[in-house]
Amino acid sequence: MKTKKSSLSAAFFITGLILLGIVVLAFLISIVHTPYDPNLTDVTAKLQAPSSAHLFGTDNFGRDVFSRVLSASKYTIFISFAGVFIAAFLGILTGLPAGYFGGFKDRAIMLFNNSIMCFPGILLALVAVAVFGASMFNVVWALGLVFAPTFARVIRTGTLEIKERDYITQAKVMGASPVRIMTSHILPNLMPQLLPATVIGLANMTLFESGMSYLGLGVQPPDASFGKMLADAQAYMTGAPWLIIFPALMLILYILGLYFISEGLRITLSGGDN
Amino acid sequence: MTETTGRNMRYLAIKLLELLATLLLVSFLTFAAFSIIPGDAAGIMLGPNASPEQIARLRTELGLDKPVIVQYINWLGGAFTGNLGTSVAYKLPVISLIAERLPVTIGMSVIATVMVIVISYPLAILSARKPGRIGDQVCSFLGHVLFAVPPFVLSLLLIIFTAKFLNIFTVGRYAPPSKDPGMFIGSLILPSFAIALPKIAMTFKFMRSAIIEQNNSEYVKTAKSHGLGNIKILMTHVLPNSNVSSITILSLVLSDILGGSLIVEQVFNLPGLGRLLLSAIARRDFPLLSGMVFYLALITVVLYFAADILAGLADPRIRLK
Amino acid sequence: MKELIKKTISCALSLAVVFGLASCKTGSVSGDNNAVVGITQEPSSFDPHTVVAAGDKEIIFNIYEGLYKFDSTGKLNPCLAESVEISDDASVYTFTIREGVTFHNGDTLDADDVTYSLRRAAGLLEGGDGNALVAELDCITSVETTDDGKVAVTMDGGNSEMLSYFTVGIIPDGYEDCETAPCGTGPFKFDSYTVAQSVVLVKNENYWQDGMPYLDSVTFKICADMDSGLLELQNGTIDIFPYLDMNHAQQLDAEKFTVESNGSNMVQIFALNNEVEPLNNPDVRRAINYAINRTNVIDITMGGAGVALTTAMSPAMGSYYNTAVDGYYDQNIDLAKQLLKDAGYENGFDLTVTVPSNYLIHVNTAVELASELSAVGINLNIEQVDWGTWLDEVYTARNYESTVIALTSDYAPYDVLQRYSTDASGNFINYSNPDVDSMLALIPTISDDNEKTQLYHEILRIMTEDAASCYLQDPTTLTAVSTRLEGYNVYPMYVQDMSTVRLAG
Repeated sequence: MKTKKSSLSAAFFITGLILLGIVVLAFLISIVHTPYDPNLTDVTAKLQAPSSAHLFGTDNFGRDVFSRVLSASKYTIFISFAGVFIAAFLGILTGLPAGYFGGFKDRAIMLFNNSIMCFPGILLALVAVAVFGASMFNVVWALGLVFAPTFARVIRTGTLEIKERDYITQAKVMGASPVRIMTSHILPNLMPQLLPATVIGLANMTLFESGMSYLGLGVQPPDASFGKMLADAQAYMTGAPWLIIFPALMLILYILGLYFISEGLRITLSGGDN
Repeated sequence: MTETTGRNMRYLAIKLLELLATLLLVSFLTFAAFSIIPGDAAGIMLGPNASPEQIARLRTELGLDKPVIVQYINWLGGAFTGNLGTSVAYKLPVISLIAERLPVTIGMSVIATVMVIVISYPLAILSARKPGRIGDQVCSFLGHVLFAVPPFVLSLLLIIFTAKFLNIFTVGRYAPPSKDPGMFIGSLILPSFAIALPKIAMTFKFMRSAIIEQNNSEYVKTAKSHGLGNIKILMTHVLPNSNVSSITILSLVLSDILGGSLIVEQVFNLPGLGRLLLSAIARRDFPLLSGMVFYLALITVVLYFAADILAGLADPRIRLK
Repeated sequence: MKELIKKTISCALSLAVVFGLASCKTGSVSGDNNAVVGITQEPSSFDPHTVVAAGDKEIIFNIYEGLYKFDSTGKLNPCLAESVEISDDASVYTFTIREGVTFHNGDTLDADDVTYSLRRAAGLLEGGDGNALVAELDCITSVETTDDGKVAVTMDGGNSEMLSYFTVGIIPDGYEDCETAPCGTGPFKFDSYTVAQSVVLVKNENYWQDGMPYLDSVTFKICADMDSGLLELQNGTIDIFPYLDMNHAQQLDAEKFTVESNGSNMVQIFALNNEVEPLNNPDVRRAINYAINRTNVIDITMGGAGVALTTAMSPAMGSYYNTAVDGYYDQNIDLAKQLLKDAGYENGFDLTVTVPSNYLIHVNTAVELASELSAVGINLNIEQVDWGTWLDEVYTARNYESTVIALTSDYAPYDVLQRYSTDASGNFINYSNPDVDSMLALIPTISDDNEKTQLYHEILRIMTEDAASCYLQDPTTLTAVSTRLEGYNVYPMYVQDMSTVRLAG
């Protein structure tokens, strides 16, 4: 039973890493070199089907879709990681004291948290970006804010459990300040909760970001993002399906990779699954 | 028996109080968010050519010269009586604009939810009967993959697929429900399916685990040893016990479906709340925006609490959490 | 294995149900005597005197009529006026009003309606603030109904260029509800406007031109953007879709659609705000002009269907256009770099271009411009705004650095150029040149066409040398029309004339 469980989790984990690896590799390549400037238009090469010159074909501006896909993976990875960082930071900032102190502070923080979670996430993100202007950085912090309550909830639950442990009581007796106990004793032990939340957060954020970019409220043209590329491709999708297929595929690979990794983590960390 | 009823009543009362507190906070957050936004609402409404006198007059008309707390109470009163003011861009009551769009959004949500239930439950039950079999594995794998596809991408793929192979392209073939209910529902099928698919995958996964867990529990094994039929066990033991998790999961699914419909209707050019939202965003139409945000949040809050209460009543252990 | 088969069948069944339902609803618009026109902007006004957006004008062209009316060749014809007499100094225009015309509300058109409408448009109503609603009519000092039932319009000084402005819509005497209940004499009556969905017009049974219109109703369907409009077109839920580019037009099924084309008499401009740094330096503006390859812009945005422009007027204006400026700004990257270097911008600079997101052609143009300008070190940031914001912030408040837009005008040279006088309300690029100002003031007082032509040529020469902005193209208007309709005419102006459209066959 034990081995079956661990082999299943390993299978998920490895598949996830491979899928994610493809997108990360694209990101790394895009930093070093792209075959063409992703934003450079070329009148003579409009809407060309995939060929050896243009692996993924070209769009209606004659831009190289392969280069744009590489470049888009950069934004996708950046936005999801930066967003998760902000969300985790805010989640720790609110969830840790809520769980540690309990009582009124806990109730107040969690009521606030739950209230924010009542707004459909995408709605909140869209409105935030709309009001402060559509740009990549506004998307990052809007997503960070939207996902912060999820992290706060996870952190609080973890803290509630950890604070009962002996070494925490010991530290209290030794006169350690609450801040010190929270940062150096509880926080490091929250990894089993924080890690899956982070991975799933990355995936969900990418789902949101691509949707926002599709609506034109994410990464701004001429820069490429998967969502925006799909939106631009819509007018040409019957004649030039490669404009849809490659960005969609990369987007799905990234999210799927993250889901598989989180699934692997979940099986390893939790009681398991059939 | 009376003790149980008493406990239930108390639980219900606490939950309703919580609901009220959350609603107040949600309304306050909505109001506050749109109050701290830079720019004077009256100035925005009148545009750059307005004279200071015109702006002052409108400020008085809108009650913007009153203290913030009075403004909030007025707004809150309006929100619950259906009077959310007038849209800046369309110069129509916010409530009527929302009401006009609601059929598409609600229609899509309902159809998608029905699809989720009708497709995911039977598949989960079938899959869970003999976990690990090839059929189960295919469904599980498909579930994992579909889970990862954003609904708007699915919409695009569905459009390509239906246009190329089935020639039942549905984009734009919309009619208001009052004019042609058949066409109204028909126009929502494909978009609803696009929103529903990932949620079908999600619900399938959760239901499958829940049922397998129940199947492995002692009382089901006992029931089996007493010679009860599979279907009977499923109906009388397994499903009722997994209801708790299915209620919770459905409330999550519903809120996701609502959010997803905002984007997917754009792909299909449907006149629902999503288009209104984008247009309100683009035109900085804050009365309209705050109204939409509040009502959408209201729907979600009520959904969550309904699910919470149902789950709590079904399984008293939940209440302890 | 049995399990799998079962599951496959249940999957297939559920899919079949879904798609089966989807295929049921094939209720099509065809067969009904109506037409659906796709538009990509939300109407902002139905008042013929306050309307500014071209997209609104194309709808109300079917509702209101003026004393004169353009036809699809750009020719100005008498409409609600039977004729006009213009005094020798061009200061008094006297119109004879057509008889037997009724408004949509049943009133009969008479001289008082015309007087009221023109006074309203020119800001001459009693109790008004004196500002003309239609800026070009500001020079009118009085509008009077004469004893013999004609309408006499008196202008401050002579103005021989006014006739094209008398296309302004005529409404019933005292009528004030144009925004909510438009009422004119046009071939179609206003029926309803549903926000973000459609504007519906119905046939005016009492239209004064016998036999017209042919259709019972016309729906202007609002599409979120060009893409969804195209999908609807291919799907048959839209019959007429204007302002396509050649790339899109070529994707259409020739059996289902004909693509009508005409010069648009539009001037697509990469507008440079002459009052912001560093665009206030003419050399920087010249450098931008030299950096751009207009053929590429036309190719990318219109699939080649457009005429390259060097200056503020389209060659479609015939003899008024100054051919001497042709090729003045042919692409020359080295010269552009040199000019930037001399102006102190050897390393280029950042420039924001604010584009209305609902016009795909302008957004696409911005993307192409960003790509081309990067060659001379100019980093063009694209900022997309919605149409309402664009009108407020860019056009009215002039709070922008650069933008891409198409300027529409009547088919008259003066109307094309009048916006470039320093104080003109339409001078959103803040262009200012005293010589141009004085010539623009002089033209209306001249009646000799040759003399005027010389002045137009001179203005165009100066504006080109000043690099007032970067002029790009006169995009060809390509309109897809379903083959179930015929009689559609593409105008060299931003209007949709539905009065001649009828079912084919």
